[in-house]
Amino acid sequence: MTLRDHTREQRDAEIRRAARALLREPLLRNQGRTVDDFRLVRQQAPELREWFDRNTGWSLHVDAETARLRKLPGDSADPTHPARETTGARLPFTRRRYVLFCLALAVLERSDTQIALGRLAEQVVLEAAEPRLVATGIAFTLDNREERSDLVAVVRLLLGYGALTRVAGDEDAYLKSAGDVLYDVERRVLAGLLTGRVGPSMVDAAPFEERLAALAADPALDGMDSDDLRNRKLRHALTRRLLDEPVVYRDSLTEAETAYLSSQRGAITRRITELTGLVAEVRAEGIAMVDPDDDLTDVRMPEQGTHGHVTLLLAEYLAGTEGEVPVARLEAHVRELTAEHARHWSKTAREPGAETDLVARALVKLEALSLVRTGVDAATGGRTAERLPALARYAVGEAIVREPGERAPKTSRRTPRRKART
Amino acid sequence: MSPSSERAPSVEASPPSALKAEASSHHQPFAHLNAPNGELYRAVMGVFVRAKERFTVHLRPEDVFTALPAERRPTDIDTVVKALDALAAWGNLRPDPDTTRVTAVEDFYRRRFIYQLTRAGEAAEEALAAYDAALGRQGSLQAVALADIAARLRELLAHAGKAAPDPAMAHLALRDLVGRFTDLADNARAFMGSLQRTIDLHDADVDAFLAYKDRLIDYLERFIADLITTGAEIARLLADLERPDPAGEPAVERLLRLAAERDAADAAPGATEEPDGAALATALGGWRDRWAGLRGWFLSSADHPAQAKLLRSAARSAIPQLLTVVSTLNERRAGRSDRSADFRVLARWFAEAPDDAARHRLWRTAFGLYPARHLTMNADTLDARERDPVPADTPWAEADPVRISPQLRRTGHYERRGKPRRVADRSEERRYLAEVARKQAEEIAAARARLDTGGPVRLSDLGELDPSAFGLFLQLLSDALGSWRPGGTEIVATGNDGAMEIRMRVIPGGGAAEIHTPDGVFRGPDHTVEIVDLAGREATG
Repeated sequence: MTLRDHTREQRDAEIRRAARALLREPLLRNQGRTVDDFRLVRQQAPELREWFDRNTGWSLHVDAETARLRKLPGDSADPTHPARETTGARLPFTRRRYVLFCLALAVLERSDTQIALGRLAEQVVLEAAEPRLVATGIAFTLDNREERSDLVAVVRLLLGYGALTRVAGDEDAYLKSAGDVLYDVERRVLAGLLTGRVGPSMVDAAPFEERLAALAADPALDGMDSDDLRNRKLRHALTRRLLDEPVVYRDSLTEAETAYLSSQRGAITRRITELTGLVAEVRAEGIAMVDPDDDLTDVRMPEQGTHGHVTLLLAEYLAGTEGEVPVARLEAHVRELTAEHARHWSKTAREPGAETDLVARALVKLEALSLVRTGVDAATGGRTAERLPALARYAVGEAIVREPGERAPKTSRRTPRRKART
Repeated sequence: MSPSSERAPSVEASPPSALKAEASSHHQPFAHLNAPNGELYRAVMGVFVRAKERFTVHLRPEDVFTALPAERRPTDIDTVVKALDALAAWGNLRPDPDTTRVTAVEDFYRRRFIYQLTRAGEAAEEALAAYDAALGRQGSLQAVALADIAARLRELLAHAGKAAPDPAMAHLALRDLVGRFTDLADNARAFMGSLQRTIDLHDADVDAFLAYKDRLIDYLERFIADLITTGAEIARLLADLERPDPAGEPAVERLLRLAAERDAADAAPGATEEPDGAALATALGGWRDRWAGLRGWFLSSADHPAQAKLLRSAARSAIPQLLTVVSTLNERRAGRSDRSADFRVLARWFAEAPDDAARHRLWRTAFGLYPARHLTMNADTLDARERDPVPADTPWAEADPVRISPQLRRTGHYERRGKPRRVADRSEERRYLAEVARKQAEEIAAARARLDTGGPVRLSDLGELDPSAFGLFLQLLSDALGSWRPGGTEIVATGNDGAMEIRMRVIPGGGAAEIHTPDGVFRGPDHTVEIVDLAGREATG
């Protein structure tokens, strides 16, 4: 290998790490946890900017303090990416928390360079008094612990993004009405939180779907029409989905997208592999860009621990089913499994009734990974789960009866699923 | 305790009583002169006036405290704060909330103020300054006046060069000079006033200021340039005019006298035939003072720098200050953009969204902060696929699946995460390393045991040492010699790792010692030495 090859290889590796960092966390700061990633992205900014601009239409903004990839989903229909609280059970944000988050940002935009949590709360309450917001039936007083914990969840998320920096005090004291917290407001981060090219205040549409579409729109390009532009939009949409989503099923694509993908699949997936190291798993039902490095994801499967284990066992069970399966049946199945696996599970998971939560969490994971689809049974009103094709990529079974350390013979790996089907 | 009072201590923190009086419209800007502590008030106002000359608009109590002359400075800052609040109550100062960064929650809520002169306070100070003749005239910022002054001076120089200058012409030129000079001074005051008002964030219309600031900076830069070039010429002309003529007195003196004579003649029209001596003396004194003022403006003396020089630095320092104001304004403006409206609209959209799923979708699309999400693939499967690629039209169910560790399937835990083969490799390496470490430990223990003298011996009796024992010995020796004091005869040292102790004593006239090793012979003056293997004895004993 020549020296030039070596340098080139090193540079490619750095670009790959920078790209993966941005895909994992589209907002990086020059301090704290993300400082290394930020430096890397800053060094490779020109190349990354060009790649993302050409292939996804996402703009990359890098200044001395922040790096922000303004991502827009290729498919905005996916509800499995909620904002989550940063501590505890990492529950998804509720209606109140989302509204509170936006109101807090509205206040911070107008605030001075510092703000105290108490002051923020006061001003959020004032903001919430806006008549059109009041008309939606939402109201904040922030004078009880529950409402305060909503505000604290919001503030902690902002701290996580670096839009606020804690100067003094802590949120727990505020929760207990025993103190207040002082923050610096980081304007650069604040300015980069919204991702779209259209400000929501410029959108008149009232129906929800239209609002969503308007947010994702690019007025500069949407006004024009040409073959070249249409192709570019298709490329952007497909690349965005392949970069972000675990599995892109063919039946979720439009006709134009299907046509474009059939001719450009090799080129698109090769470019993604070059940039990120993700490998295309192309199957009859769709494409998954799988990650040999196993860190470009927020949901893992397979995974260790009780919930990972339950997810795996449920995946195995679902793989052997056809059509919609009532969630109640899954719960019953987990209840049976508890007896067999209890000694490996956490204490709470062994309690009677825990299966509801176990199944719910497992299904959230499986759905997030596009391995399962959940729904509601029209007849009974009960929730259901249905396996999706990519679930079949996991082989579990035969080996379960073997002793640890003993290798399953290669030929037997697929047998159990077949058995389950017949 | 009610939560709201807890969250807003500012409600409890009432302003000092003096501040409440601020609302009253009856300003008494001279009240502080008769108040007890009047000297302190004057000194505080003096700080503001001086700060203003340096284009500093707002002062914090700490700034005032440090800027106070030492003989007027009270012992603690609270006295200054009280004085500031009192002056604010009288209308001399205006308090504004301080928005600078703090590091404690209490400071954020404590009413902190920055102070600036009010117009009334400024007027009072001006009036007082007029009384306090100590304060000289202010500088000016009129570039045209500078050129005019230079022209008049050239004219005067021409007159002075004549054998018999025309008194009327000389008088006129001098009067003109004084007139331009007075203009310059007046203009300066007006300019400083307007500059002050412009820098004042609270009164200024932001857009007007931003539009104005380029012209302002431009003007200041031009003025500085003029002051450097024209100022130098004026200084040269002044020096020329003061050069002694053949009669031995400064050339300008003759012109001043001519002007004074004409003034005196005007002052006493037709009273007597002879010019009034007293009137002449007064007029001449006046002209000399004016001349001295003019030269003091442009010529530095040993103890007094030229006004022009001070003005130049003042104008120069005004530019960065203006730029700071501009950037502050821009920052505030950025904060006031429509983004706030954007977030308010989004808040409503979240409230109006049909269900949680819709809200999660809105969140993802509006903020785009979601991470990429991908299925994983282990190295084994990847290798297998490279060897034996799966056709693209194979359904997932038919393709070779990802193998999941049977251990994980059984217990929910991996033996090891990731790639089993490489893990096995590592444990092999670990065994090897452990083996190496064990061998080394054994060798060292053996070397220690070998070195242990079991009591004082002569160095020359140590005999032959193997390499590892000798290495250890050298280390000990260097530790010992490192703590050797000049003139000492005995040394006790413990090795760096605390495992061995060495005790050495000089043997007077002991001769040389030799230690043999497989690599050569070590020679040095003989000592009594005692080496103790602390670790070894601990282990065995």
